[in-house]
Amino acid sequence: MIFITGPLFAGKRDFACRILGCKAEELARHAVWDVQELAGQQTPEELAEQLAAWPVVIATEVGGGVVPVDAKQRADREAAGRLACLLAQRADTVVRVFCGLPILLKGELPE
Amino acid sequence: MFTLIVGGAASGKSEYAERLAVAAPAARRFYIATMQPWGEETRQRIARHRAMRAGKGFETVECPLNLAGLQLPEKGTVLLECLSNLAANERYDPAGAGEDAFCSILDGVDKLLSQCSDLILVSNEVFSGGSEYEGDTLEYLRLLARLNRELAAWADNVCEVQCGIARYYKGKEPYLHDRA
Repeated sequence: MIFITGPLFAGKRDFACRILGCKAEELARHAVWDVQELAGQQTPEELAEQLAAWPVVIATEVGGGVVPVDAKQRADREAAGRLACLLAQRADTVVRVFCGLPILLKGELPE
Repeated sequence: MFTLIVGGAASGKSEYAERLAVAAPAARRFYIATMQPWGEETRQRIARHRAMRAGKGFETVECPLNLAGLQLPEKGTVLLECLSNLAANERYDPAGAGEDAFCSILDGVDKLLSQCSDLILVSNEVFSGGSEYEGDTLEYLRLLARLNRELAAWADNVCEVQCGIARYYKGKEPYLHDRA
């Protein structure tokens, strides 16, 4: 599994299409994205295990701002961060996309 | 040579950008300032940045809007700070390009590149704090992110500055090691 992370609107899905050699409208067949929004619905461990079955998993970094005042938002953000760590552990390759540019955090990029 | 520098608030990106600009080979250095002085806080911020630039040989050119209309007297090093102001000005100032802000700013950068020997462009990293924003904020973030991605594709060098330290995601650090 390839885990792609990065800030909001950084070009993560474009990058996934590039490495998969697919069009944007075909991406849903190979990849799942915005998984940070699923965090909090079940335990991060269970979720990571299920998501790891996808060839490509994409999450947006959401932990960079001020701690949210709202308890639910705070818990969801924690779960999103935890989920990202668990996905990165399970991934063969971890890439962070920043301004459209990929930075390899773990493993190797497919040729 | 075109270098894009991205960093969060108070990350040291301005100071780093100035160091690069000072080390660049051209004799003349232009600082393109984009901030509109709305109140006391921005006036203080502008004063702090002016003091930081004092003695570094920059000629300051104010350009909060219409970058494409800017004429520089000579080809030199240009430090433009910062894209996030320019984007907000063009998008939301009544005199700005409005919905054409993206194209207008790219056109401006394109014209600027033809008028300088070296361009150092500073932009903001504001994209890691979630996506729950009110009003126009998400639209603005989308605009700035699109500009960042497009300009990162154009640039020879792209780095992110954190705690005053630059990490290059594309190209390499220019100028600073040329004279060693």
